[in-house]
Amino acid sequence: MSSETNAESDMEYSEDDCSYEDYYNSVDDCDSEQVDFKKVDPEHHMLDCLSVEEVERLLNESVEALCNELEVVPSLAKVLLHTHEWAVGRVISQFRSNSSQLLISSCVKPAIPPVQHQENLTYMTCPVCIATHPREKFCSLACGHMFCKDCWAMHFEVQISLGVSTGIACMAQDCGVLTPEDFVLSLAPRPQLREKYQMFCFRDYVKSHPHLRFCPGLNCNVVMLSKELKAKKAFCTQCKTMFCFNCSLDYHAPSDCNTIKRWLTKCADDSETANYISAHTKDCPKCHVCIEKNGGCNHMQCRNCKHNFCWMCLGDWKAHGAEYYECSRYKENPNIANESAHAQAREALKKYLHYYERWENHSKSLKLEEQTVQQIKYRINEKVMTCSGTWIDWQYLMDAAALLAKCRYTLQYTYPYAYYLEPGPRKELFEYQQAQLEAEIENLSWKIEHAETTHRGDLENQIDIAEKRRTTLLKDFFES
Amino acid sequence: MAALPRRIIKETQRLLQEPVPGISAIPDESNARYFHVIVTGPEDSPFEGGSFKLELFLPEDYPMSAPKVRFITKIYHPNIDRLGRICLDILKDKWSPALQIRTVLLSIQALLSAPNPDDPLANDVAELWKVNESEAIKNAKEWTRKYAVEN
Repeated sequence: MSSETNAESDMEYSEDDCSYEDYYNSVDDCDSEQVDFKKVDPEHHMLDCLSVEEVERLLNESVEALCNELEVVPSLAKVLLHTHEWAVGRVISQFRSNSSQLLISSCVKPAIPPVQHQENLTYMTCPVCIATHPREKFCSLACGHMFCKDCWAMHFEVQISLGVSTGIACMAQDCGVLTPEDFVLSLAPRPQLREKYQMFCFRDYVKSHPHLRFCPGLNCNVVMLSKELKAKKAFCTQCKTMFCFNCSLDYHAPSDCNTIKRWLTKCADDSETANYISAHTKDCPKCHVCIEKNGGCNHMQCRNCKHNFCWMCLGDWKAHGAEYYECSRYKENPNIANESAHAQAREALKKYLHYYERWENHSKSLKLEEQTVQQIKYRINEKVMTCSGTWIDWQYLMDAAALLAKCRYTLQYTYPYAYYLEPGPRKELFEYQQAQLEAEIENLSWKIEHAETTHRGDLENQIDIAEKRRTTLLKDFFES
Repeated sequence: MAALPRRIIKETQRLLQEPVPGISAIPDESNARYFHVIVTGPEDSPFEGGSFKLELFLPEDYPMSAPKVRFITKIYHPNIDRLGRICLDILKDKWSPALQIRTVLLSIQALLSAPNPDDPLANDVAELWKVNESEAIKNAKEWTRKYAVEN
């Protein structure tokens, strides 16, 4: 156990948890590289951003390993690996135990005995173009279905133009035998077409490889490599896109891949109504002056009457700060089962809108806080220019803004999770933690927006608390 | 336009010389890739007695790509929609360059004998075909009489 982990666990630890001797003598004490990140950060994910060349090298290593082990040609090795998720070990053991069955299930060999041809024929008729050619103008795959080389070339041209590559099969009806790479490349006439074919093959290989993902960023050629096949955070260092390694959608902890997919579909269907209902302005609950939200923070202070209130629930902010914060919790109507279908539909819409408004609101806040970051930069620049501190002195403000964005992002994605959670103690616990996180985030946001009047230590303390709330929530609900 | 491939000429000749019973396919005078097709409703099917007009077009890369076929006569069938488009595997992913116009039309004729409501194109028709087959067959017969029988 390292000092970092101890610091994370809590402020209060007892002597038997970690004696002073351990504390000073542990080997990895000074080496933060060796900390077990999994324990500290539930989102931690070991990932590599690879270029196309690096991925090709990686795939070729597997191909080579299989060729050496089984003494097969590379193009056959590629078909076997592609149809078996690039599991070299599995392919080798299946080949050893029953090679014929493996070749049939990989669509290299036909399930029925191949068609026999008379060897001494000098001319044959191609069943596709119905032309008669000398025997040497014909070829076939392992299934023995003979076609002339011109027809094969035409077949490849059409298939590749449709985007098919590793899936190109024999031309005979109901014959699923696949064409290996060397067969296609030797018969496809145009260099441009061959290039296209190899590009499509590469795409298919990456897609069939469980540890590889294309970065979903626009025009980005990076391929991510991960040993862990989980819905974890992937960040492309090239184009800065953050996505979920499992489903390639926007990263969505603590919601899982299914939840977020359902949620996004639902939002796409229903959000027009929601947008209509939740207008962009609200009235001050005290003096009723119309207020447009221009910052990310949900702790509002009316410019007119100085009333402090919460933008979400329009309740007095005093009730949010210290006491039990529960503006994020949706209160279900307990008598709903006895109500009419119309009332139930209304209740369902109300429930959805509750979660949708909060989801949408935090998404908007994230964008507004991006503007705050620009303002902070501007203000820091001003201060440095007027000699009040160096750039480094004000750096903590930038750190605070970055952490705020990270926390609010997670908070945004807690709402789809909560929407689909079944009512019960687990949901109560989740919404309690969510409320705690939300309260700390709004505190942080308020302090950042009022940085001039906030003490640095106070702000740094707030950063710490918010991040701890976030990791606690993720540890409890994302990993399981 | 490029010269007509030998394969299309051969197929056309054979369709005209040895036509399939119940199917006629005649190339258009101005475009040899376009066929006017008439399929007669198979015996013991709700389409019996009707003659259904179809159009068949051989695309540029035929036979590497499947022919395009469509019903012109209205027909009440779970695998044929109201635009006459046909849900048939060999016209889509199961197409093989070794198949021919003749085999395609035979498959369409067989589809009239054996509708497949589990793989529907016209959803409302398929639904009725599953829950109330006799009612669906009644509709199919009525449509056949209304649209596919020449007075």
